[in-house]
Amino acid sequence: MRRASPTPGDAPALPWLMPALAMLALFYAVPVLDVLRLAFSDATLIRPATEVSTRAVAAVLSNPALPQVLGTTALFTLASVIALQGVGLAIALLIVRGERRGLRGMTALRTLVLAAWVVPGIANGLIWQILFSEAPYGGLNSLLGSVGLGPVAWLSDPQMALVSAVIANTWQGAAFSMIVFYAALRAIDPVIYEAAEVDGARAFTVLTRITLPLLRGAVLVNSVLVTVQTLNTFDAILALTGGGPGRATEVLALFTFNTVFYNLDLAGGSALAILLFALAMALALVLWVTLGRRDMRA
Amino acid sequence: MIRPILAALVALTPALPAVAQDLITRNRVGPEDAEKSLSFRLTAFDLYSSDPATREGFEALFTDFIEAHPGWRIDTQLSTGNIGQEQARLLQQTQAGRGPDCAMIDSSQIALFRDTGVLQPMNAVFDAAAVDDLFPYVRDAVIDAEGNVLAWWWFTDLRVLYRDTRLVPEAPQTWEEAQAAGLAAAGQGSEGFLFNGGRWEGTAFDWLANFWAQGGRLVDDAGAPVFAEGDNRARMLIALEYVKGLVDSGAAPSRVTAITDYDAFNAAAAAGSAAMFVGGNWQYGQLRQTLPPEDFAAWEVSELPGPTADQRATGAGGWSIGALSDDPEKIEMCALIARDIYAGAGNALQGLLPTSAGIYDDYDVYAGPEYDLFAAALENGRARPGAAIYPEISNQIQIMLGDVLSGSATPEEALDAAATAVQAAYDRR
Repeated sequence: MRRASPTPGDAPALPWLMPALAMLALFYAVPVLDVLRLAFSDATLIRPATEVSTRAVAAVLSNPALPQVLGTTALFTLASVIALQGVGLAIALLIVRGERRGLRGMTALRTLVLAAWVVPGIANGLIWQILFSEAPYGGLNSLLGSVGLGPVAWLSDPQMALVSAVIANTWQGAAFSMIVFYAALRAIDPVIYEAAEVDGARAFTVLTRITLPLLRGAVLVNSVLVTVQTLNTFDAILALTGGGPGRATEVLALFTFNTVFYNLDLAGGSALAILLFALAMALALVLWVTLGRRDMRA
Repeated sequence: MIRPILAALVALTPALPAVAQDLITRNRVGPEDAEKSLSFRLTAFDLYSSDPATREGFEALFTDFIEAHPGWRIDTQLSTGNIGQEQARLLQQTQAGRGPDCAMIDSSQIALFRDTGVLQPMNAVFDAAAVDDLFPYVRDAVIDAEGNVLAWWWFTDLRVLYRDTRLVPEAPQTWEEAQAAGLAAAGQGSEGFLFNGGRWEGTAFDWLANFWAQGGRLVDDAGAPVFAEGDNRARMLIALEYVKGLVDSGAAPSRVTAITDYDAFNAAAAAGSAAMFVGGNWQYGQLRQTLPPEDFAAWEVSELPGPTADQRATGAGGWSIGALSDDPEKIEMCALIARDIYAGAGNALQGLLPTSAGIYDDYDVYAGPEYDLFAAALENGRARPGAAIYPEISNQIQIMLGDVLSGSATPEEALDAAATAVQAAYDRR
């Protein structure tokens, strides 16, 4: 009996993983550990740490503003993730369907959507600040006025300001979701759709019985990625509202930024960064456990 | 025929710009191989301004300066636009020994730099007469208890009331008059009275004039926050009620809680939608350039209204230059840059308000009637308090105003929340 020749899969994995692990440790683990060290210190932006202390963590957790900030973060993240998934999927479906029918301009549409993705967060905030302007000559309100609607208090009303922040975030981030769903849609065997057509299935049935179940893996990956991305969003909000009116749009990432750069509280900011990290990890795990298990059973 | 003309034009082209280009690059002033160098972090508003006239003017000033100091090179570092973050980074780098030798420091940050001991005295260049000529609030900020000149505050600014005289003929002297004028203007279809109310430093600083006009104090002599205690608390609430009344009555639009820059007022003036706004003195020149002459002629400036005509105050800011190096030669060079390039000549070039009374008489640019008003208003000028807790006080005032003006909290609730947050931040230091 001849012995099978060794395959690459038989080799020990660790040596091959070492370069990647070393890079991850250097660029991710070390900064995270340093933030952890700072969170349990008395460091400020103008004074290095002089002692190990839990006071910064205690101060952060007992901050009366924290519940409101966490509530705003939860609302902003939930609404953004739902909108990002919905809009991204809708655009991807439109493009794939257009491509299958041989419509012109689909590449241009894809490029156009991607253009929003490469716009820096600060620029995104400024663009939407101009559009949302509530001055008599404001962009969106003028459009609404021309059809007899509005004006809408896009940025001056606390509730609407959060909605406006979600719209700006969705405009920029939907392209990423579109790419993920576009790739997943292209991987679905067209034969399945042909069979459904032969069976006389309607478009809605095809979407709910074929497309969405087959996209479950993509939904999981996209949910994790856009959740983490949205939790970390602060630059667009900084430019759009600065977190106001009051604290109406001050999400956890922006609160962390303000703690460090207004308050100069490096230890407190580090404690908040750890909280943000923990929340992102917990949400990713929850999504993985709920959607991932279903995906494996499917 | 054309060729000889072109040749003659080339020959007649002045040599100065070529020399200036050689001496000034994006990161250097002076010869590359100079024996001595000074690193200087500056803002993007002068030598590297996007305005060609300003840039060329400062290039000429820097060229003259470096030619008067042979053997020196200035390595320039451009600071970013985010002032708070940029200044915090500058301080951190300086403390770690990686900062520049000389830097522009926002007037609101002088106290922080002073308290951390990174500023080196520039007494060798600025004598007692120069110090005596500074406005009192400027002198208090840059001179320490031993009389050392720790920085040179080279220009100041202030907030004034701009009004379209076609809608508001007479300058309101009191809050009551301002509200009545705003309401009357709103009744004629304008937006009435505009002011910063969004989440940014301008909101807090502009509004603080209303608190200071009553004699309010943000911090005590030790730098501890006292703005929500005793009489100060009452003054805070009165100032809050004033702006709340402007919005609630319709004298000011509710959109003020979304205004986060002064350019919004220029835009409103250009669109003819604003009757009055609280703006900076620098906007006078901007309006002159933006508006058609007949419209500009209708705009006038006056002191900010007070609770009574006799109680006035206005926030005064600006930029300073500080030496961060231990090297005496570099400290002197830094001070000379402040004195010979920026204070005086640099002021006049940009029409910025000098911090020394004497400079107003030295340059014709300050002959306009608006400068008489600015100079008079500066008598009631108030700088940000020289306390390291100020940035957090400002942050909390922005939140407090946003909550009150949008109706999310009563003035009392918002003030209590601000006081608690500032005290917690102060206790953690």
